[in-house]
Amino acid sequence: MIAFDYRAPRSLDETLAILQEYGDEARVIAGGTALVTMMRQRLAQPACVVSVRGVAGLGRIEATNGSIRIGALVTHREAECSPLIQERLPVLAETFRRVGTIRIRHMATVGGALAHADPNQDPPVTLMALDAGVEVQRAGGGRELPVAEFFRDYYESALEPGELVTAVTVPLLPAATGASYVKFLPRTADDYATVAVAATVTLEPDGEHCREARIALGSVATTPLRERAAEALLSGARLGERLLKAAGSAAKTAVDPLDDHRGSAAYKREMTAVMVERALTQAWAEARRAARASG
Amino acid sequence: MAHRIVGQRFGRLDGADKVTGAARYSADVTLPGMVWGKALRSPLPHARIVRVDASRARALPGVLAVLTAADVPDLLVGRRMFDMPLLARDRVRFVGEKVAVVAALDPDVAEEALAFIEVEYDELPAVFDPADAIQPGAPLVHENPGAYHGAPAERPHANVQSVLRFKLGDVDAGFREADRVFEHTFRTQLAHHGYIEPHAGVIALDEDERVQVWASNKMPYRLKELLSHALELPPARIRVNLTPIGGDFGGKGSLMDLPLAYHLARVTRRPVKMVMRYTEELMAGNPRHPSVVTMRTGVTKDGRIVARRATALYNSGAYAAFKPAPSVNLGGTSMGAGVYRIPHLLLEGFCVYTNTIPCGHARSPGEPQMLFAEESHMDMIAKELGLDPVELRRRNLLRDGDALANGHHLEHVRATETLDAALAASDWAKPKPRGVGRGVAMGHRHIGVGFTNAQVRLETKGTVTLTIGLPDTGTGAHLVLRQVVAEVLGLSIDEVQIELATTDLFETDSGVGGSRVTHTGGRAAFHAAEKLKEQIHAEATKLGTPDASFATIAQAAAREGRTLEAVHFYDAKSHAAVTSFTAQVAEVAVDPATGQVTVLRFTTAHDVGTIINPLGHQGQIEGGLIQGLGFALMEELQTAEGRISTLSLGDFKLPTIRDIPPLTTVIVEDAVGPGPFRAKAIGEGSISPVAPAIANAVADACGVRIVDLPITAEKVYFALQDRKGRS
Amino acid sequence: MIRLTVNGQAHELDVPSYRTLLDCLRYDLGLTGSKEGCGVGVCGACTVLLDGKMISSCIALAVFADGREVTTVEGLAEDERLHPVQQAFMDAGGFQCGICTPGQVVAAKALLDAIPHPSEAEIKEWMLGNLCRCTGYYKIVESIQAAAGQARA
Repeated sequence: MIAFDYRAPRSLDETLAILQEYGDEARVIAGGTALVTMMRQRLAQPACVVSVRGVAGLGRIEATNGSIRIGALVTHREAECSPLIQERLPVLAETFRRVGTIRIRHMATVGGALAHADPNQDPPVTLMALDAGVEVQRAGGGRELPVAEFFRDYYESALEPGELVTAVTVPLLPAATGASYVKFLPRTADDYATVAVAATVTLEPDGEHCREARIALGSVATTPLRERAAEALLSGARLGERLLKAAGSAAKTAVDPLDDHRGSAAYKREMTAVMVERALTQAWAEARRAARASG
Repeated sequence: MAHRIVGQRFGRLDGADKVTGAARYSADVTLPGMVWGKALRSPLPHARIVRVDASRARALPGVLAVLTAADVPDLLVGRRMFDMPLLARDRVRFVGEKVAVVAALDPDVAEEALAFIEVEYDELPAVFDPADAIQPGAPLVHENPGAYHGAPAERPHANVQSVLRFKLGDVDAGFREADRVFEHTFRTQLAHHGYIEPHAGVIALDEDERVQVWASNKMPYRLKELLSHALELPPARIRVNLTPIGGDFGGKGSLMDLPLAYHLARVTRRPVKMVMRYTEELMAGNPRHPSVVTMRTGVTKDGRIVARRATALYNSGAYAAFKPAPSVNLGGTSMGAGVYRIPHLLLEGFCVYTNTIPCGHARSPGEPQMLFAEESHMDMIAKELGLDPVELRRRNLLRDGDALANGHHLEHVRATETLDAALAASDWAKPKPRGVGRGVAMGHRHIGVGFTNAQVRLETKGTVTLTIGLPDTGTGAHLVLRQVVAEVLGLSIDEVQIELATTDLFETDSGVGGSRVTHTGGRAAFHAAEKLKEQIHAEATKLGTPDASFATIAQAAAREGRTLEAVHFYDAKSHAAVTSFTAQVAEVAVDPATGQVTVLRFTTAHDVGTIINPLGHQGQIEGGLIQGLGFALMEELQTAEGRISTLSLGDFKLPTIRDIPPLTTVIVEDAVGPGPFRAKAIGEGSISPVAPAIANAVADACGVRIVDLPITAEKVYFALQDRKGRS
Repeated sequence: MIRLTVNGQAHELDVPSYRTLLDCLRYDLGLTGSKEGCGVGVCGACTVLLDGKMISSCIALAVFADGREVTTVEGLAEDERLHPVQQAFMDAGGFQCGICTPGQVVAAKALLDAIPHPSEAEIKEWMLGNLCRCTGYYKIVESIQAAAGQARA
C-alpha cells in the first residue's frame, strides 16, 4: 500500500467536514475489510482515509416505531447477535450470520456493507426485501433513500462525494408475514453466494392468498435486484407450489448475471429460479406460522 | 513383535514452538539491516521484451536496487531440466514470469516501486492447450529445448518436454485378444497445493562471504547444489539453515526466488528477504499439472482386462524447471494401470510446453490425475459390461507375483483384503435412499526411496541426541525418528532429542519428499542407533559393569575425551517389492434441482506396515484425503488465454472445516514394509482415489458421469438437464 | 503515533499509515507468531484478538487498533504454562506444519472463552475461517473438544 493521510474524527460533524474537504479523494473506513483488501490489491489508492470508528453515536441498534434502526458502525457480528434483531427480525440476524466468517463479521459494519455496493454481499439483499431505508448525511444536510434505490452499478452506490451512510432503518414485518434468506453455496461453506435470495410473504386473513410478496436477489447482476415481476405474480394470488415455481421462472428472466468462479451466467440464471422458489417456500411456511401464532 | 515405543500414540511433543508462535519459519527470519525484495511479473503470456527502464524505480526513496536480466548472469536454472532464466531475458513465456526485482527498505515500498518500472513488450503468438501445442506449426515456447542441460532425448515435438513410457507385453496383440474395447477421455484441472505458507527465503552474505540461506525448501542439500550452480559459487560457500516449512505437499523443492534474493544481497550488501504474496503463489507457484488422459482398455466377455493403453497429456507450462524426477515427467503416469494385473500395457505421459504457469510436483505427482481417469474408466466399463463395479475390480486385482507397469514384481499383495475392508466398513451392500449413491475407487503407492544421514550421540546425562538434515514439513517425521532411536536404545521418548544440522554437517541427503522419510530417515536412524548401542555395550564391558547407566558410560568416555556417537548413511536405491493399497468408498447425495453434491460419508482403507505413531499416521490419511476432496469438488485455478483469474484464496477455494464428511478409516495391518520395524509409507496414500470414488458415487446417485474435474454442481446440473432432454 | 497494548504490554509506535496490524506486530514488534497466508482475510493465519474479538490482522490497519488491546498467539501461555488449547492441539495432533496453528489456537481460545463447551457444529461455525491444509480438520475438532473437556475438569 502507498502512504495516505489518515484522519480519525470523533464526531459526525467533524467527519462530514473532512469528507467535504477531500471530496472523492477520501475514502471512509469503518471495519476496513473491503477497503484495506482493495488497497492491498491496488484497486483503491485514496489520498485520504477517514476512519469513522471513533465517531460517537453511530453504533446503536434501537427499536423505533415499527422499525429497527441500526447504526452504520454496528458490526455484522453485533447485528447477528443482537437480541432485538434476533427476536424481531430473525431473518436479518440469519443473513448477517451468513456473511463470511466470524472474524470478518467482527470487523465489517452494516454501513460499510452498503457503501461498498458489492453485488455479492448478503445483507443488502435481505435489507432490500425488507424495504429498509438508508440514512445518508453530508455537511449541512441529510437524506434517506430506500435500499432498492441505493445501488447504481457494480461497486457503485448512490453516495455522492462528501456523503456518509449513518444508519439503516428496517421496518418490522407486518402480521402474517414470513421472511427467508437463501444463500446457495455449492463449493465451500465460506464463499460468496452463487445466487442469494431474500423473500417475504404476507398472507391475507384467509391464510391462503398472498397479500404481498417481496423478492430480492444477490450475485445475479451488477447490483442487488428487487424482482418485482415475480412479486406481482404472487400478489393477490392463492399460494401453491406451482405458483412459487412460476415465480422462480419469472425471476430467472429478470436477472443478468456475470460468469465468474462461482458459476456461469447460464447456471446462475437457472439457480435463480430454484432459489427463488426455495426462498418463497420457506417464507410462506414462516408466514403460516406467524398467522397461526397471531390468530 | 511387541514394541515399547514404536506403535505408541504420541501427541506432537515436537510442536510446543508451533502452538506458542515461537517457531521461526523462513518468513519470520529477521536479520540486522535486512531489506525486502519484490518481483515484477509479466502481464502477458508470450512476448518479446523490447525495453526495460528501471530508472524511475531506482530513484524512489527507500529503493536500494532494481535488477533486470541485464544485471544477473545469463544462465538457466531448474531441478532436473535447466530451462528457466533467473529473470526473463528478451522474452516472457507466461503471465507471472519475473522480469525485474527490487530491493527496498520496506516491503510496501518495494511493491510500490514495481509500478515505476517501465517494460515495453511486443506480444507473440501463444499456445495454451497441450493438444494444440503438439500440432505442427504450433507457436514454439522454446526454440531448441533439446539443448537444455538435463533435457531428455526423446522429443516428438519441440513443445514436448519429456515422454515417460511404461510397457508390459505387446499391447497391440493384447487388444486383438479382447472381446470388447472401451475408450474414454478425462480431464483434470490446474490446482495449487494450497499450503498456507507462501514461498519465503532470506539470503545473507556473512563476514566470510559465505551465502547463508533460510528457505521454505524441503531438500536442503539439493538446494545447496542447485544454488551452487545458479550462483556460480562452490558448494562450500553456501550454507542452508533449516527452518520449519509451512506446508509442502510437493511444492517446496525448487529455487523459486532465492537466486534473485542472492543477487539483491550481493548488490545491496544487505541481507534480503523475499516472501511471495499468495497472489504470486497462485499465478507463479509450481502447481499440479492439468491433464487430458485417454484410457483405452480391452476386456474379455467375462470381464478380464487383457490390454490397456493410457495416454496422458500434461500441461506443463512454460518451463520444465520445477520437475525434480530424472524423467522430467510425472511418475503417476504408471497409475494408468490402476491396481490391476494387465498383461499387455502401454502407458505414456507427455509433458508439454505451453504459455501457462510452469507446473511442478504435487502430493503423489500425476496420480490423482491418472487415477481419476483410470478408476472412473473402470466403472464405465463395468456399466457397459453389465457387471458390478466391485466384481470387475475383483476379477482383475493384482496378486502376489504380478508385475507392475514399471516391471517390479509385487509380494504380499493385499489388494483384495483392502477392498473388502472398505466395502464392509462403508455398508456397501446396504440399500440406500433415492438420490444417494456409493462409489468405490482404489489405488496403491510405492514406499519412497532416497538417501538420508542420521547421527546419534550419547550425552553425558544419559540422553541421546539425534542429528539429521531433514527439515520439518509438518508430517511428524521427526517424532517418528525419535521413536525409532528410543526403541532401539531402550530409552523413553523424552530421552531422545532431535537436532537439525545445517548443510555443513553431512555430504548429501535427499531431503523430504515422495513419502520417503519414515523409510529412509527411519532406517538411517535405526542403524545409527544400533551402532551406538554396540558402542555402549562395548564401553560397558570395558568398564566391567554391564548394567552401567548410559550416563555413567557417557561420563566415563568423556573423562577420556571421547564422545560416543555413530552416523549412518542409508541409501535405498530401489523400490521394495511391496506397495500400500488404498480402497475408498464415497457416499454422496445429489440435489437434482441444483446438481450440488454432498458427501454424506467417506470410508478409507489402507494396507499398511507397522505403524510407528498412530496419531501422525492417521493425520496423514486425513489430511491427504481432504486434499483429495478439494481436488474432486472445488479446487481449480481457472484460466483463460493463459491468465489465471482465481488469484486469491477467496476465489481459489480450499475445503473448510465445515466441508469435511464423516470419515471411517480402516487399517489393514500387515507388517512387511522396508522401513524401520517393517514400516511402510502413508503420506501419499489417501489423496488419489478420492475424486474417482466421488465421481463413481455421483454416477450411482443420479446417473450422470462427470469426466472432468472438479465435479462442480454446475457440471452435474447441466449433465442432468442433458440427460432429461435426451430421454 | 499509535498506542497499542499487545499481550498486556503497552507500546507507543510511529508507523506509516499503510502499515497493517499484522506487519506492525511482526516487524515493528517482532511478534512473528501471527502469519501472513492469503493476505485477504480468508485463511485465518493472521488471526488475533482485538479487544477480545478475533479479527484478520492482515486486513486491519495498525492505526485501526490505536488505543486498543491486541492478543496474539504469543500471549496465550501464562508463565511457561501452555494454554489448555495449545496443549490440546499438541496432544490430539491438531497441527502438522504449524503455519496456520497460531491463528487456529487464537480462534479456539476465543471460542472457549465465548462458549466453554461448544457442540461440534458450534466448533465448525466458529473455526470456519481458519484454513488448514495439513490435518483435514478432524484433529482440530478433536483438539478443541479435548481442550473443552479439560477446561471442564
